[in-house]
Amino acid sequence: MAGVINVTSSNQAILTLGNTAPLAVPGVTNGLVIPLVQDVTVSASPGTVRYSTLDSTSSSAFTTTNENEISFNMLLDDDVFFGLTNTDNEVANVGLLSTSIAKTEIFFSVAFEGTDSGDYYVSGKGFIGGLAPTASMDQAVWISPGTIIVNGELTKSTVS
Amino acid sequence: MRSTLLTQITTNLTGSSVKVSSELPFENSGNPLYIKNKKRFYLDEEDIATETLYKTVDGTQIDQTTTTIEGYLCVDAKNPLTDIGTIISNLISAKSSIANTVEADCEYSTEIEGDDLTYIFEYSFVTVS
Repeated sequence: MAGVINVTSSNQAILTLGNTAPLAVPGVTNGLVIPLVQDVTVSASPGTVRYSTLDSTSSSAFTTTNENEISFNMLLDDDVFFGLTNTDNEVANVGLLSTSIAKTEIFFSVAFEGTDSGDYYVSGKGFIGGLAPTASMDQAVWISPGTIIVNGELTKSTVS
Repeated sequence: MRSTLLTQITTNLTGSSVKVSSELPFENSGNPLYIKNKKRFYLDEEDIATETLYKTVDGTQIDQTTTTIEGYLCVDAKNPLTDIGTIISNLISAKSSIANTVEADCEYSTEIEGDDLTYIFEYSFVTVS
């Protein structure tokens, strides 16, 4: 099991949002930690173009720009989804829904190992989208997918 | 949950030919009380089963709990109650007294042994928390 990042301790996979980069660092005061996340996916995909040449039986490729995205599914927390008064972090103040509607750029981090010094996380900035809250008597709670369409590159860092 | 259901059943059967007992349907001298005391409805203890509906990476767990309660009513098979249809309908409708359920069901079956006609009701309630 060496090297496997186990998330069963419930404080390792953490999605944090802020209206500034320092507010989105894992474990920072006033960072908006998205609670009740069922799963989170960090997608870092280089764009590619394939082409064929007459002297090869295989296609070739070159890269274009990276397309990065954070996607997740969550149970809805009313304070996080609709906002709770916060004078330091505007994303927390207005909530995920209003931030998405306003198309406001936000900063984010996805902690992989928690918030201890030296723990890895991925950060960047982007736009919240893909919110689609659903509820039914079969599931009986509000759940929603969500995405952060990353504007620019993902950055690998460690908690200081 | 049992006490709420029992209260509603008592209300629903007021004025009918069946009384409601607050005792559990335990056995007395080898016979269940509902066999001994006919035309008296008995509600058993709750059986509870819980399973996880959702788990999140921050350790929150949303559970779905199914509570099952059985009720018993025994009558003389040779002398059926004239208002048994209304009684059964009222026993079934008592399920709506339990609030905040995802599902509230009631089904019943009958057993005949000798002169004893026993109605066995199974209430089932599903909640999420």
